[in-house]
Formats: sequence, C-alpha cells, structure tokens
Amino acid sequence: MLRRCRPLLGTFVEVTADREDAIERVFDAVAQVHRLMSAHEPESDLSRINRFAHLQPVQVHPETASLLERALFWARESGGAFDPVRAGKAAVEHGFIPLHADQPGPAATSWRCLKLQGRSVRLDMSGCVDLGGIAKGFAVDRAVVALRSAGCERGLVNAGGDIRGFGPEVWPVRIVEPMSRRPVAQVRIADEAMATSGGLPAGEGLGFDHLGGPNDWWTSVSVVAPTACDADALTKIAWMRGNAVLSFGGPGVRALAVTRGGEVESINAPEMALA
Amino acid sequence: MSKAGADWFTLIPVAAVAVAAAAVPASATVYLDIQAAQQTMFPGASFVAHPLTFTPEQRKAIAKASGVGIFEKTQRIWEVRSGGARTGWFIVDRVLGKHEMITYAVALSPDGTVKSVEILEYRETYGGEIRNPAWRRQFVGKRFGSSVQLGKDIKNISGATLSSRHVTDGIRRLLITYQLLLRNA
Repeated sequence: MLRRCRPLLGTFVEVTADREDAIERVFDAVAQVHRLMSAHEPESDLSRINRFAHLQPVQVHPETASLLERALFWARESGGAFDPVRAGKAAVEHGFIPLHADQPGPAATSWRCLKLQGRSVRLDMSGCVDLGGIAKGFAVDRAVVALRSAGCERGLVNAGGDIRGFGPEVWPVRIVEPMSRRPVAQVRIADEAMATSGGLPAGEGLGFDHLGGPNDWWTSVSVVAPTACDADALTKIAWMRGNAVLSFGGPGVRALAVTRGGEVESINAPEMALA
Repeated sequence: MSKAGADWFTLIPVAAVAVAAAAVPASATVYLDIQAAQQTMFPGASFVAHPLTFTPEQRKAIAKASGVGIFEKTQRIWEVRSGGARTGWFIVDRVLGKHEMITYAVALSPDGTVKSVEILEYRETYGGEIRNPAWRRQFVGKRFGSSVQLGKDIKNISGATLSSRHVTDGIRRLLITYQLLLRNA
C-alpha cells in the first residue's frame, strides 16, 4: 500500500491506496473541495455566498450545493444543534475566519435564514455560512469516490481525523486526547467512516470554532457513521446534545467520548469491552 | 468482523502507554523519501544539490521578513533541470509543532511559485517531547524508507483536528528564502 500526505483544508490529508495514479486524483478531489468551500479564499463558492447571497441568488458548483443540502438536513434533523450559520457568525466574531473587503458583518443567527434551491443560494439577511464543521468529512467522501473510480479496491483517507476506509480490510484507528495527543482508545472501522471533534483553545488547532459552545464534561467526541460527512456532522450534534445524538444517527452509528478526566465514555456501545 | 461486534474499540492500557512514551514517539509515518518526492514532483527531471548554509545575517533577514524565527542551519535545496534549462527548485524543510515534527518538500517553479507540497515524514508524540532538543537530535541524518505494510506500520489517528499552520509558516519562510537568495542565483 502507498501512503501520501499533503497540507490541505487547514490540516493534513493522508491517503492510503494501492495505486499511485489514484492518489493524485484523490488530492485533486480534495483540493477542489478546498477551493469551493474555504471561507479564507475570497472567490470560493462559500465566500461568494457570504459576500452576496443576502443581495441576490448566488449560483454554486453542484458539489457545494450537495454539501449545503446535507448541512441543512443535519441542521433541521438536530433542531439547530448543528448550525452552519450560527457557527459562521461565531467564527467571524472570534476571528477564526476573515471578513472579506466587501462582506457585511453577519446578522443571521440561524440556518433558517439559508435557502437552497437547486444550485442557487440565498440568505434572508447578511450572514456567514461556515461549512468547516462538515467540509472535511465531505472532502473525505469525495476522495473515496475518486479512489474507487480510479479502480482502487482498498483504501483509506484521513483528513485531520475525519477518516473513511473501504475495501475488505478492517482499519485500526487510534483515538487521541485533543490536547495531549495521548492515545486513549483504539477503534476498528471497516467499510465506514469516523470523525472526531473536540474542544481546543484558540491557536492550538481546529475544532472549537464550529461546535457552537463549550461542552463541560467532554474534551472530544468520536462518531462512526457510513459516510465521513455524516460522521463529522454527528460529532457536532453529539457535542451539543450529548447521548441524544443516537436518536439522530441511524443504523451503524456508534460514538464514544473522552471526558475532561481523560476517561473514555461509550455513548451507545453496550457491547463495548472496557478492559 | 461484525461492524457492531463486541470488540469495536479497545482501551489502550495506561501502563503500556507509559512504557511506549519512554522508548519511542507515539507515532511516526514516512510517506516519501527525498528521491521519490523529487520524481513525483518533477517527473523525469535531474536535480543538482545546492545546500544553503545561512550566514547569521541571512538568518536574521529571513526571520524578520517571514516572521518565522526557528529553522535549520542548512537548507536542503536542489536546482531542477530538464533539457539543459532550469525548471524549478526542490526544497526540503522541517517544522516543529507542539506535538509533531514534520519534514516536507516544496516544488517551486523558476519564478518562485509553489507548484506542490508533499509531506515526507510526520512524527507525532504526546507530552511535549517534541520541543526537547535531545529528542529532536535523534532524527538528524535519519534515513528515509518509503513503503508501509497494511496493519503493521499503518497508524491512523483521530483526535481534535490538528492545524497545518506550522507548514504554512514554513512555506512562507521558504518563499522569503527564495526571494532573498535564489531568485537571482
């Protein structure tokens, strides 16, 4: 197996695959998500939404539309626990993402202000959509599509802890504590995805900015789901709603959290072996 | 195994972790050696090594202009040539984070534009050992390998997302180095 890694999406994207030519296509797919969804690039689809969608409909790439659709799905399902508009406003106010020269300060505080029709996006008032809480997972899913369509039979993509594997293998994944990076648990994933989100202080890394508020008993939460995009969204919902995340998940969804005391807490695995 | 099987996850015993911390870093992954990175980033080209040892004045100027103060004394630089003409620069660099040491390669076009970046090696640890000079020294002159075996060498890590800011800072420093020392070379 070949393994490559590049800095993309503000983190490290690692690709494991059995064919060299496929790896290049995977990074192209991830770079495309980066170009379309980065709030830091003024001409990305996302920045164009944040600059203009309160004035006129903004046309976006089909990939952007499909991620927005999924973000709105999870916002609705979770009753706003996952909310890319509230997260965007908080991210701007905390200085995590920049306001571009012609971009108004965000007034919108809810996903309900964001309207998607086909590939056309509108905001009811000025607002900042932030897909940072879900775009890494989405990029991982796109990367897996690229690997498969290039003929790979097995592979794994890890974008800063958002991981998806496919093929006959069972992939071991080590879960580490957010601050110390101390390994606390080992998870095995098969043809599925896992994401971890945690609370890191500003400047230490990514993650805190999209979670919508501090969770005072966990430092991180990991969710296994069929796709990385959904696993990513579900970590944010778990962060806000605790164990109730399970009612949103669906088949195959499992979760665990690392507590402030460094303990591993199972959220839905009665079958879990604790020793 | 069944996806919802009884052994979905296992806790790593604390004692085993403590022993590992004393002996080896928590995780190290080698992605590409220098030669493989050269062929990936500039296929078919030839490479002329021009290691650059900075004078104290040069170090000061680069640190001031880039805002990045800590870097290696000698920069590993290759001029890339194809068909008798310069087609770019290949630079190997290292950056340190709180928990990680990253060796990476940057491909520059002749006019100093970043063409591509590849991570060559990523060492991650916990407990802050990475800042320790003795810990760092043990990797000086380390040889690279380039293949991984499934299930044996492969480490997949998931935690709160690490930022790639140190690499971004490193690339900014390399672009300043290019401006000051390579552009007219």
